[in-house]
Amino acid sequence: MQAPAQGGTGQAADPILIVRDLYRHFGGIKAANGVNLEVGRREIAGLIGPNGSGKSTLFSLVAGTVKPDRGQIRFDGHEIAGLSAHTIARMGLARTFQIPALFDNMTVTENLLAAAAQGHWQGAHERAADTLALLKLEPVAGNRASDLSGGQQKLLEFGRVVMRQASLILLDEVTAGVHPNIRKIILEAIARLRERGISFLVIEHDMEMVRNVCDRIIVMDSGRVVTSGAFEDIVRDSEVMQTYLGRPQ
Amino acid sequence: MKRSWAGLALLIAVLAVLALLPWLVNNYWLRIATGALMWAGLACSWNILGGYAGYINFGHSAFFGLGAYVTALLMGDPLGLPFFATVPAGIVVTAIFAVIIGAPTLRLRGAYFAIATWAFAEVLIQFATVVDFTGGIGGLGLPPFLDERFFYFAMFGAAVLTYLLTWALFEHSRFGLKVKALRDHEPAAEAMGINTSLVKLQTFVLSAVTASVFGSVFAYWVTFINPRSVFGGDITDQMVVMVLLGGLGSLWGPAIGGVGLFVVNRLIWMNWGDTAFYIAILGAAIILVVLFLPNGIAGLFARRAAGSATVLDKAVGKLLGSKGGQG
Repeated sequence: MQAPAQGGTGQAADPILIVRDLYRHFGGIKAANGVNLEVGRREIAGLIGPNGSGKSTLFSLVAGTVKPDRGQIRFDGHEIAGLSAHTIARMGLARTFQIPALFDNMTVTENLLAAAAQGHWQGAHERAADTLALLKLEPVAGNRASDLSGGQQKLLEFGRVVMRQASLILLDEVTAGVHPNIRKIILEAIARLRERGISFLVIEHDMEMVRNVCDRIIVMDSGRVVTSGAFEDIVRDSEVMQTYLGRPQ
Repeated sequence: MKRSWAGLALLIAVLAVLALLPWLVNNYWLRIATGALMWAGLACSWNILGGYAGYINFGHSAFFGLGAYVTALLMGDPLGLPFFATVPAGIVVTAIFAVIIGAPTLRLRGAYFAIATWAFAEVLIQFATVVDFTGGIGGLGLPPFLDERFFYFAMFGAAVLTYLLTWALFEHSRFGLKVKALRDHEPAAEAMGINTSLVKLQTFVLSAVTASVFGSVFAYWVTFINPRSVFGGDITDQMVVMVLLGGLGSLWGPAIGGVGLFVVNRLIWMNWGDTAFYIAILGAAIILVVLFLPNGIAGLFARRAAGSATVLDKAVGKLLGSKGGQG
């Protein structure tokens, strides 16, 4: 793994993503309550925090699925806060969803091709074949997405973001509940993609994965970033572990 | 590969028979064949939005009626334009209406969209009934042209073009992938860079203008139209049942459902002189589809995945009590 980007609260060197004072309230629920964070180029940043801390909402805000009340989101030098999801996706940002959001009635191959249908069509069939091989999905290439196992669905959704040829990928619990073999395939693919210069922001509850894969950890609670740093620094902070992860050290 | 060659051979054979049909049957059966082609085409037209994009349109007859009225108005006094000049005019008018109606209503989903489109067709019925230039409730007459072969080939051409367009755009292009993606998961399609609002509107317009062409031919064929005969909700209802019976979202399902149900309609009329019983057949078809054929007749033969059992295999397996057909 490459050396992690350094920084204080949510900061990264040479950031590809900068979030400043981001707010989004749903009635009385403060899902994003002044979020500040950065993700560096070629960095794999882990986003952790208790359930309801605002991690998935932050993904939706950055990806344009949900519009912020106020605040700034700069992606690759461009202000994207409030832009539509498809515009942001075309700028090079791809995401997965907490619950796999597949095109159920389409085959595995069609799911991959659909991901390339907008803007990345040249060579799409070859890349789909490469992605099927990378994720070991070739035996089920002709199956409908809805017929896949839970782990295969996670793989396929990951395959779709690979097809997007994005510069920043947001992964929402991409290895949650999957077989260790599938988890290994995904982690290897993440490492290979990072070598190609792709950055990642990863929501994950599996601390083992966070330790092994992420360059830097960002901790969220109550809709804001409370701290960030190397995994060892975070776990050493007993207050953080107890308060935000429920694991006193 | 063998399957695709066999399918192509079957298609060529069917098209050859259809091309020769006017010389094989009398005028009575030719009229039935003309109607069957119209319904097969209309069902395909409805399926473009309902099956491929997942938007259930209960006001599709509005576009059929717009094509019919544009042709009737332009062919009648004082303009007296030739038929073939009125068809593109109908397409343009229908496309404009489709954009105006589609842009706001396609923000809705499910029953809300269905109700909004149904209301649009009802508005057109009322409008055509109360204004003078449409002939009001009395309707409009067109110059008679009593050449059954002309209308047969006009419907045949419109149907072939509709299916060809559907095959090319929705089964073999990236546009079709975008449409099917937004049908299955709209937020995920957006996350793939697909402008779902635009793609939905394009699909809506395509669906509308194909219905408009059949409306133009129909008006000239029957030489008289009124608001209920071309905007009526029962026209859309039949399209919906035809598609559900044949296979929602499949290419050939609407053809199977359209031809099948229309021929049943005519047979009932021939035997009893009344088509009230046909309504009961439509109801029974809906019940049968919901209970036993969620993918329609086309779904019985569709191979969902290499090596996996078809719905028909499963049904036979169940019938024989073997596990072999369970897939």
